[in-house]
Amino acid sequence: MARENQHPDATPSRRASSAEPFASSNRRSVFRTPASQGRGLPRPQGLSASGRKVAPPAATPHARAAFRTIDSRRAAIFTPHRARRKSLREVRDSPRDFLLSLGRVLARNTEVITTSSSSSPGEADRTVASDGPGNDTTLGSINVDEDDEDDEELPKRPRLSLPIDEEDEDDSDDLQPHRSVLIDDDNNFTMQSIEMPRRAYSEQPMNRFSMGSVRMSDYFDTHDMLHSEDVGIDSGFFPPTAALDETNIAMGLEELPSPERLDSDANRPDPGRESDFRIDIPVGDVNESTFLMAPQVVDSPDGPPGRLPVATAEVVHDDYAPLLDQRSDDYDDEDLFGGVPALEDEPLEAQNEQLHDETEREPMTARGPQDRRLTKKTIKVSKYGIEYPSLPPAVVKRLAQNFARANGAKGKITPDAMKAIMQASDWFFEQLGEDLQAYAKHAGRKTIDESDVLTLMKRQVTIYQWVSRYCYTWLTLSRQRQINPNTTPFALAQRHLPRELLQELRMPPPVVPKKRRKTNGGTEDEDVT
Amino acid sequence: MAGQKLYPRATVKKIVKAHSNCNVSKNADVMMFLDYMLFMQTLMREATIEAKQGGERGITARSVKKVTADSLAKFRG
Repeated sequence: MARENQHPDATPSRRASSAEPFASSNRRSVFRTPASQGRGLPRPQGLSASGRKVAPPAATPHARAAFRTIDSRRAAIFTPHRARRKSLREVRDSPRDFLLSLGRVLARNTEVITTSSSSSPGEADRTVASDGPGNDTTLGSINVDEDDEDDEELPKRPRLSLPIDEEDEDDSDDLQPHRSVLIDDDNNFTMQSIEMPRRAYSEQPMNRFSMGSVRMSDYFDTHDMLHSEDVGIDSGFFPPTAALDETNIAMGLEELPSPERLDSDANRPDPGRESDFRIDIPVGDVNESTFLMAPQVVDSPDGPPGRLPVATAEVVHDDYAPLLDQRSDDYDDEDLFGGVPALEDEPLEAQNEQLHDETEREPMTARGPQDRRLTKKTIKVSKYGIEYPSLPPAVVKRLAQNFARANGAKGKITPDAMKAIMQASDWFFEQLGEDLQAYAKHAGRKTIDESDVLTLMKRQVTIYQWVSRYCYTWLTLSRQRQINPNTTPFALAQRHLPRELLQELRMPPPVVPKKRRKTNGGTEDEDVT
Repeated sequence: MAGQKLYPRATVKKIVKAHSNCNVSKNADVMMFLDYMLFMQTLMREATIEAKQGGERGITARSVKKVTADSLAKFRG
């Protein structure tokens, strides 16, 4: 009678038992066997739920136990979870169930109490509804009966544990606004030191390329500005020293963590503790921030103001960055101060510093090379102090126009665009030279070989013949390398190079010759969108 | 492309030599230029797409500059 009276919410689980396929009854017997065996009743002979022969009574107790466990495991595998649960529940049938069903009849409107331990509310509902009679305490069910209004409060019980996934998301969400708000609060110079980690979070290879790239910064700073000026002043002696200096300025900071930095890392805990002592003073005179970490936050503007107008931006940065790091570390224990986070921050700082350098020099860069380019023919000097020409614009323009037309661009390439393309090709050759040098040196050569170029091309990644050709989704976008079985260097060369140059190339025989593309019109076909 | 030289070989050699501070073997510049052509192809393709998306007529300096960094990144060793 209890089953008929049940609330529609809870019925399906119960009803299912009547509609349950016959296997479940078998399974129940499997589940009960241990108990019956324990009581010494004879075990039913025949086939178990899994169809395997049950252990003969003559078997040793160990063997029987083993068979039993195997059987129960199999049954567990093939049993849907709900059926398993139910079979257990019937064992525990008690007068409490009658109370529960009575409650369901009397108070239909009450909502099921969700337990705080489960992560998702929907799941919680289900488990409570189906498991209620078995697992819930009577207290919970009584509550459902007695006070309908109170159970609104029940789900809001303080949770002792938060689901992990949510916490992670919250964490990241918390940190980001925290920083941005910080920036809003500090309207002054501190802003830079605070903003830096935000930039660093988004630090990706692409991002680095956009502004703070090593190579571009080399180009921007050293080549266009420093060098072109250096050439005028003292072009004679700068090759060895200047090269060293530049690498240190522009790119070296990342690669060579200087001992001072390590020292400063080691020293970090000290200023942090000092700031603990100074808590009260800075809060008063500088802007109030609402954060809990306020004392240390305000600590950073507190120290420098005397120094700041005098100090260059780099000094400011050096002063602030460690403080900032501490602030972010304050969430954790103090032992973390000198440890891992500091090491993590190091390249970021270097990166930021580099950015800083660029921003400092950029105004000069903006006017410097432009004028020069207008006035006379460019003299560009690589970082090794070797002058180099750029490709003749006619060649570049012809190439560009060919490829642009192949891509379906209409119209001509404007002079401005041409300038940008020239710049890009200069950068390309600079990058090419450095990469090739790395490969050649790695091979222990002083000469760049064809093999180096091949290696380079094999490593270069390009989104080759993308969506238009394969209609891939964005995920499968086929980030192919420049050279793969489909595009052998031979095929590429044959497609792009005139015959006399092809003859110069001593190509390794293509591995998959039958896969080779058609050479004529291949570019035109594939690239028209 | 047919009649004239495709590119001045000596210039390419000089450029790479200056940047790498290494010697360049006899015919390596052909491969280098092949790589450069692939780069230009990528650059112009991206620039064209960018220009189309920006509603520009033809390739402009803006579109080229915008895609330069990405294209360079693709051709990084």
